Amino acid sequence: MNQKRKIRVLVAKPGLDGHERGAHVVAYGLRDAGFEVIYTGLRQTTEQIVNAAIQEDVDVIGLSILSGAHVSLTRKVMDELKNQKAGDIMVIVGGIVPDEDIMELKEMGVREVFTAGTPISAISGFIESAIPAD
Amino acid sequence: MAEDNDYLEKIKTQQKEWEENVLQKRVKRFNLKESPTKFYSPLSTIKNDFCEKIGFPGQYPYTAGNNPFDFWRAYAGDAAKMGYRPDWGGAGGVGKYGGFGTAEDYRDYLIRMHSMGRTGGPNMAFDLVTQCGYDSDSPFAEGEVGRVGVAIDTFRDFATIYEPYTGGLEIDKVPSNFTINAPAAVIIAMYAVLADKRGIPLKKLKGTPQNDILKEFIARGTYIFPPNQSLRLFRDTCVFCTQFLPELNINSMGGYHIREAGASRVQDLAFSMANAAAYLQAGIDGGLAVDLFAPKFTFNAFGGSMEIYQEIAFQRAARRIYARMLKERFHAKNPRSMLIRQPITAHIGCSSTTLQRPLNNLTRAVVGGMAAGMSGGMPGAFPPFDEPMGLGHSQEAVQLQLDATRILIYEAKVSDVNDPWAGSYFMESLTDEIEEQTMAEMEKVENMGGAVAAIENGYMQKAIAKSAYQKQRKIDKQEEFVIGVNCYTGQNEIHVKVNREVEASYDPALMKSAEKRQKEKLSRVKRERDNTTVRSLLSTLRQHAEDEAVNLMPDICKCVENDVSLQEICDVLRDVFGEFQQAKL
Repeated sequence: MNQKRKIRVLVAKPGLDGHERGAHVVAYGLRDAGFEVIYTGLRQTTEQIVNAAIQEDVDVIGLSILSGAHVSLTRKVMDELKNQKAGDIMVIVGGIVPDEDIMELKEMGVREVFTAGTPISAISGFIESAIPAD
Repeated sequence: MAEDNDYLEKIKTQQKEWEENVLQKRVKRFNLKESPTKFYSPLSTIKNDFCEKIGFPGQYPYTAGNNPFDFWRAYAGDAAKMGYRPDWGGAGGVGKYGGFGTAEDYRDYLIRMHSMGRTGGPNMAFDLVTQCGYDSDSPFAEGEVGRVGVAIDTFRDFATIYEPYTGGLEIDKVPSNFTINAPAAVIIAMYAVLADKRGIPLKKLKGTPQNDILKEFIARGTYIFPPNQSLRLFRDTCVFCTQFLPELNINSMGGYHIREAGASRVQDLAFSMANAAAYLQAGIDGGLAVDLFAPKFTFNAFGGSMEIYQEIAFQRAARRIYARMLKERFHAKNPRSMLIRQPITAHIGCSSTTLQRPLNNLTRAVVGGMAAGMSGGMPGAFPPFDEPMGLGHSQEAVQLQLDATRILIYEAKVSDVNDPWAGSYFMESLTDEIEEQTMAEMEKVENMGGAVAAIENGYMQKAIAKSAYQKQRKIDKQEEFVIGVNCYTGQNEIHVKVNREVEASYDPALMKSAEKRQKEKLSRVKRERDNTTVRSLLSTLRQHAEDEAVNLMPDICKCVENDVSLQEICDVLRDVFGEFQQAKL
């Protein structure tokens, strides 16, 4: 059997937002779904998040934001990834994101936005189909 | 007694016969392993002693309610005739929770509200920068200034907000609420300094700071210092308020934040009670008699699920546990010390609302209102149905929410009976069950060394995260059902849409420019103030912070008065106290 490398996911909380339930649930859920999950904890700067993603060699960054600052924080992560030549890391966003902002996030390169009520399987399924098996 | 025994024996015999011949027959007929419903008989409540466990409303142990009737019941008829709107505030009340942008933006918003007759005291939301003890010019502040609340850097900001509060709205006449925790000492100091500058006696100040730092570590995330040092700051505010601001509530504790973070019902209650015990002990350690300060402790809003029976039992159990803890463990004698005083009682919790078919959230909120009305509270339907849509509550949603509550009060007459479930075989046994499980969980926490220890070792945080995940798994596996989310989502369902005209309370342009304006203001204050005094005050603060026995409130008041910024105060304390590092999950 081919030893497949587990898909590595960084679950991150940028900024000062302290709502951690979603991040916890997604981190546990993806781990149980067979992913390698690293959780940053609260209050990470976008720079810290991108550095952690590169150091941990992750395939996916999942940003959890419920403070309304999702557009500015996500833009900073996307810019930082480009600056560090790590634009190949897939970024997904979870949280309270109004419909009109979802378009804006996708335009800056976010692959998918998951809002309240999303089952874990929808997130794990999306990641598996978006990351090519090697 | 012999007669009682005969009576119970008779019921026992009948129950056995019923289970075998009636219940099991039906269970088999439908091919089930067990009955999907429960029935409770007098056998469930054999242990119940009315006086000891329930009591009359307004009497120990307060299971049946804090009061024979609530104050709002006395005026319910007048309120209806006058068209009173609680969201507008008014004499003696705070207005709607809010805040955004700079102090000037929020002040202008309040002036606009006043001109519309909405004259409640300020019920302040602070931005995350302020809540985490930073100033608007901190690198951590970027993008967050004035976003989820108003930005406060120095006393000048605080004073600006209060400009419209004069005359009939003077601060000795209207109360203020401050949703602030880690830097609560700084905000309380600002309130005291404001009164002092206006010549208002401190003893007349009314209001409620949240000042519940322990739940920040386990639920809300805006902590700064480690738990023990945070508790020292709590002690200092508790002693200061008791001495100088006796009308001010000292805190607004726990409950729904913990549940919203994912805690089970029992975890929520046990952790809230363990936290309350830590605050009570902090006050006592500060040299206060329990009855001197416990009457000024409040709770935020206990509850937070759709399970109506459990939420009713939960309120009853919570009142009994807290009363017993105060009386037996802390030896309180004043009945007021023993009450769970909370503005909102049972409710569904915002996390029970769904983005899918959002008008269903109104139906859900009504269930929460029923639970509140039947467990000693106003039958408040909360939250407005558009809560999960992330744009702020629309006028329409607030209107329907208020009307739902009114319908429960005036048409359904839900609140005409106190504790209508008292004596129910089922409700009494469920209340006992929740109490027993909570006491067991509390004992676990106490054996670890109490709330602070259970936070430092990560026990509470891990327990809550696990419960949140288990709940999600149950929903994902359809072991629990959420209408429109994991069931009834097919093409036969109509995805009802609703119109909302979102109140443009918060001008997006102002919100966008707030950071720049706030930074300019701060740099001007730092130029204009007497920086020699600032340095000397901060050095005294540092010296006193190093001595655990010293109450820091007088120093913080002096700092505030001399335009030392919130972050400058917090930075000195960060240096001395250290910063909290969350245990890995």
